[in-house]
Amino acid sequence: MGVFDLSRKSLAILLSAQLLLATQTATLAQAQMLGTEDAIARYAAMADRDLLLGELQRAEVRDQIIDLGIDPAEAEARLAALSDAEIATILTQMENDSAGADIVGTLFTVFIILLVTDFLCFTRVFSFTRCVR
Amino acid sequence: MLHKGVQLYPLRPLTAFLAGALAFLAACAAPFDPDARLTVDVPTRAEIAGVPLIRQEAFFCGPASIAMVMQWAGSDVTQEQVAALAFSPGAGGTYTADMIGSSRRLGQLAVEIRTFDQLLAEVAAGHPVIVFQNLGLGVAPVWHYGVVTGYDFDRDEVYLNSGQADLMVMPFAVFERTWRRGDYWGLVVLPPDRLPVSVGQTAVLSAAAALERAGQPEAAETLYHTGADRWPDNWLWLFGLGNARYAQGDLRGARSALRQAQALAPGIPEIRANLATVTTALGR
Repeated sequence: MGVFDLSRKSLAILLSAQLLLATQTATLAQAQMLGTEDAIARYAAMADRDLLLGELQRAEVRDQIIDLGIDPAEAEARLAALSDAEIATILTQMENDSAGADIVGTLFTVFIILLVTDFLCFTRVFSFTRCVR
Repeated sequence: MLHKGVQLYPLRPLTAFLAGALAFLAACAAPFDPDARLTVDVPTRAEIAGVPLIRQEAFFCGPASIAMVMQWAGSDVTQEQVAALAFSPGAGGTYTADMIGSSRRLGQLAVEIRTFDQLLAEVAAGHPVIVFQNLGLGVAPVWHYGVVTGYDFDRDEVYLNSGQADLMVMPFAVFERTWRRGDYWGLVVLPPDRLPVSVGQTAVLSAAAALERAGQPEAAETLYHTGADRWPDNWLWLFGLGNARYAQGDLRGARSALRQAQALAPGIPEIRANLATVTTALGR
């Protein structure tokens, strides 16, 4: 019992010491420039995902998805479950296929729909989509 | 004694089989069909002028191909200088990671490609591409780096500067087999004021950040600048530009770039923090 109390106490001391140290390190780091690489990792992936999710909201995409008998909410949930690397792969594939043109308009719509139908086992365009039935 | 009309092997089915096999082989060797194989639109032929033919020294095909591409872009780097940064004597060759790393340490934009679409799109845009090939077989590999400088669908030819004395010409089917055995690995190496056409924005951004890490802030600055012109709505280019200028001691330039980034994307904590650091440094 006493040993148990003691170990809890020492754990608490250890943890608060560590917390203090971590806070200090963070404060010290603020005096330095934040790196571009970390910002890219954090924001570029986020922007990619937002772009795809935003496309799903567009009326023409939504209509076609519903026409195919797919619930748009389910499509969004599937898209949200992809890893950053997978999202990046999709966008690279789209940019390649549009051959230098900006990825807007019909081609993009087709891609989003193919991505969604891939999730639901109708098609198999992207190598990383897992069809669950 | 056998009758004249009797044959030991049933010849007719064999001939039919051989004819069929030949037809099959011929089908395999059919000219590269761009419509069936590519999803990008590229011209029927393309050729990049001015890529020098450098005869490689023993096992230096990797460094030689980087030197060829860099000399094409106007540098005077030699294969020995590249080899000092890239070659692994113990392996008797150059690893793909060192091909990327050495290009960046020499201040170049280096991005990987992985498909025929990307390869031909880059060559059509006038960018030579370094490819990793196995000229032998899976069981007896002969690893090699070459530089693709052109192609011609009608003549069914791919042109490579391959570290030998003259241009190497390969039919598409042969080229594809050798490239497939190298996992379709390709590398676009460009000076930082030119952008590849076949890779996404994020890959180019990462390549720019890698230039900062490789101790080439000046090249990184040029690339961030080029990227900011090409993709003006993305604040990350200006953020990188600010950081690269700060790394070179250009505080005013850094502040101006970071302010532009902040105007594009107000409320990003990273921009605010770096702007504060730069402003403090300027005030001292």
